[in-house]
Amino acid sequence: MKRNPLVPIVVAAIIAVMLFAGIHSARKNRAARSPSVSGQVHGKDAPDFELQSLEGKNIKLSDFRGKAVLLNFWATWCGPCKIEMPWFVELQKEYGPQGFQIVGVAMDDSSTEDITKFVREMGINYPVLLGKEEVGQSYGGVNALPTSFFIDRDGKLVAREFGLQSRSVFVDHIKEALNQGQPVQAQK
Amino acid sequence: MKRLFLCSLVLLAAAALGQDAPTMKPVVSMAPAPLTTITQGKASQVPLAFRVIRGYHINSNQPKSEFLIPTALKIGATTDIIIGGTDYPEGHDMSFAFAPDEKLNVYTGDFQVDVSVRPLRSVLPGKYMLRGNLKYQACDNAACYPPKQLPVSFEVKIAKAAPAPRKNPAQSPHSHK
Repeated sequence: MKRNPLVPIVVAAIIAVMLFAGIHSARKNRAARSPSVSGQVHGKDAPDFELQSLEGKNIKLSDFRGKAVLLNFWATWCGPCKIEMPWFVELQKEYGPQGFQIVGVAMDDSSTEDITKFVREMGINYPVLLGKEEVGQSYGGVNALPTSFFIDRDGKLVAREFGLQSRSVFVDHIKEALNQGQPVQAQK
Repeated sequence: MKRLFLCSLVLLAAAALGQDAPTMKPVVSMAPAPLTTITQGKASQVPLAFRVIRGYHINSNQPKSEFLIPTALKIGATTDIIIGGTDYPEGHDMSFAFAPDEKLNVYTGDFQVDVSVRPLRSVLPGKYMLRGNLKYQACDNAACYPPKQLPVSFEVKIAKAAPAPRKNPAQSPHSHK
């Protein structure tokens, strides 16, 4: 039986198209779902907001201008959020003196008392604010928790991370945020 | 044959790479509930079957932490069909990549919740639709999603109760005088 020489070429072309489609789709999903979508947010202004802290004070994001900020959206019912918190406590101690500030935003329906109890149990050493849906929306919608935004000293977004990440990912973004923008002392 | 096998492998790899990331899809669905016939005045269990999509888990009805949101079914009350207790299955103790040392009590895959339904004797025989919500909070291996309410509905058929047996009329002690 004679073989048609076109068959292997057609098969190879089909495989190439499917591989391309698969890889393209995977990249798109990865970008949409998680890890670093820093390319999409890098350099944009972090939307300012004013939220109430657990102590009842009104706090604005812009109050931290001049500091590198890790804005962490979390909830008491979120298991992966609990894993990050001890890292955040350490990172706040380690990088705080360099002008780094973590700000937690609790996207909870729980009472302030319950959130306060949780925060105490976790030994959190950074301000926790009571989140509002519109604040999440201004950051593109916080549909999965934890979600963290890294903001430089000038209030510009450096990176965004969805879901639990390794500690080293946070460290890299914190360093990046600290190295960008003007520290408070330099501002006049 | 060898070539065909290689081609299949390549195609499988491409398909795996291109899999959709399940982000905002509903995580729990309910199978159509079979019509349950219940006799007037008697309680009966109605089984409701749910499915958690692969790769996700939801807290059981008895999660191990006060901060976790339990899965809970609420059926709207009606005046003459009483919704009694709800039997939830036991969850599975599982640990996840985000907390390898901690066991969470969760539902994955298929699970069934039984609802006790008791129509009063006064309910007219016929079919009745009952509606409610299943509240759940789902997570995958790296993230958690806000609590959701899955609309739940099922139909019950109320059948006429057999006539109550006749009791002897109470006898007055005076009648023996």
